Amino acid sequence: MHSFTKNFLKGIIRSNPTFILLLGLCPTLAVSTSLDNAVGMAAAFIFVLLASNIIISLIRNYVPVRVRIPVFIVIIATLVTIVDLILQGFIPALSKSLGMYIPLIVVNCIILGRAEAFASRNNTTNSIADALGMGVGFAWAIVLISLIRQLLGTGALDLFGHHLFTVPGLADNPVTIFLLPMGAFFAIGVLLALFRWMGVSTGE
Amino acid sequence: MEVRKNGFYPVIFLTLIVFISIAALTVTNAVTKDKIELAKKDEIAEMLSTLFPEMEGFTYDEKGDLYTPLAKQQPLGHAFMAEISGYSGAISILVGLEPDTTLRGIRIISQQETPGLGARIAESFFLQQFPGLAMDDIELTRKGGKVDAITGATISSSAVVEGVRKALLEKLDQLRRET
Repeated sequence: MHSFTKNFLKGIIRSNPTFILLLGLCPTLAVSTSLDNAVGMAAAFIFVLLASNIIISLIRNYVPVRVRIPVFIVIIATLVTIVDLILQGFIPALSKSLGMYIPLIVVNCIILGRAEAFASRNNTTNSIADALGMGVGFAWAIVLISLIRQLLGTGALDLFGHHLFTVPGLADNPVTIFLLPMGAFFAIGVLLALFRWMGVSTGE
Repeated sequence: MEVRKNGFYPVIFLTLIVFISIAALTVTNAVTKDKIELAKKDEIAEMLSTLFPEMEGFTYDEKGDLYTPLAKQQPLGHAFMAEISGYSGAISILVGLEPDTTLRGIRIISQQETPGLGARIAESFFLQQFPGLAMDDIELTRKGGKVDAITGATISSSAVVEGVRKALLEKLDQLRRET
């Protein structure tokens, strides 16, 4: 069980996919405009990563090396399409606000990266730990970025229609630039600098 | 073990994976298809009922792409969809008409505008400007119309105005031809 805990914990800070490995930044920057989107994206992402890591670790000894990337992509694309259809059918509001970014999980390099670097070389238990750790790492990163952007960009925080709180003064005069694409770069740039300054270095 | 040395093994393996994938997707599609259709229909019904609160049901004319909300078997007016590209992606607008074809109001069905800026086109302070507008007034104030643009979202605001006006011209024409 020791390696399970180790493989789980490494994705959260030391090998955080967003802040340390700098993988999958495109969806992170594009979807982090609101807390709702970030939470929905993180949930869909964790599901796909977990399922793809499990399947790939199970078949890892049978996958021919030369066609491994197409095999991984077909598996990931299938899982993403399933998630997309289920969201459309059961949570249409979330499916609508995530829009194009659900299908784009297919090309999210964290998922393909974990399939190639971890799941195809480790057993299923460790692959589950890796997927959960990386998933949680991605989730807190995207939630943190969206929190900063929504707070500064609108001066208020809402989650799934519930109003959490309003920042006095800021709500009347919000820094709307944080809702625009450049605001995403500001937020992630400052966070990356913070991580470097705190001395968190690449774990792998 | 022998089979894996075979040169065709990768081809066979990939083909197998693709077939399993097709099977999984066929099953998911069969399970979710009705749900997705239902969710889309529910959404339109809900949007229609915010424009026509007394609505009890609606009919949809596929050929003319026209919704007719009904109450006690009587039409309450007409509604149709208008599509236009906004600041980032397509905006779908539901336009409602009174029985005498004056503008009853509009609702935003889907949009991908910037949250907090362009996305505010879906909020009531913007939408409430539309009911009762004459054709010439469906234009931004600075261009001589009667619709105030949203601060910081001129492109989104003018896209909505343009979309509504163009679709309305087209539909009025179509309605006139039919009657």
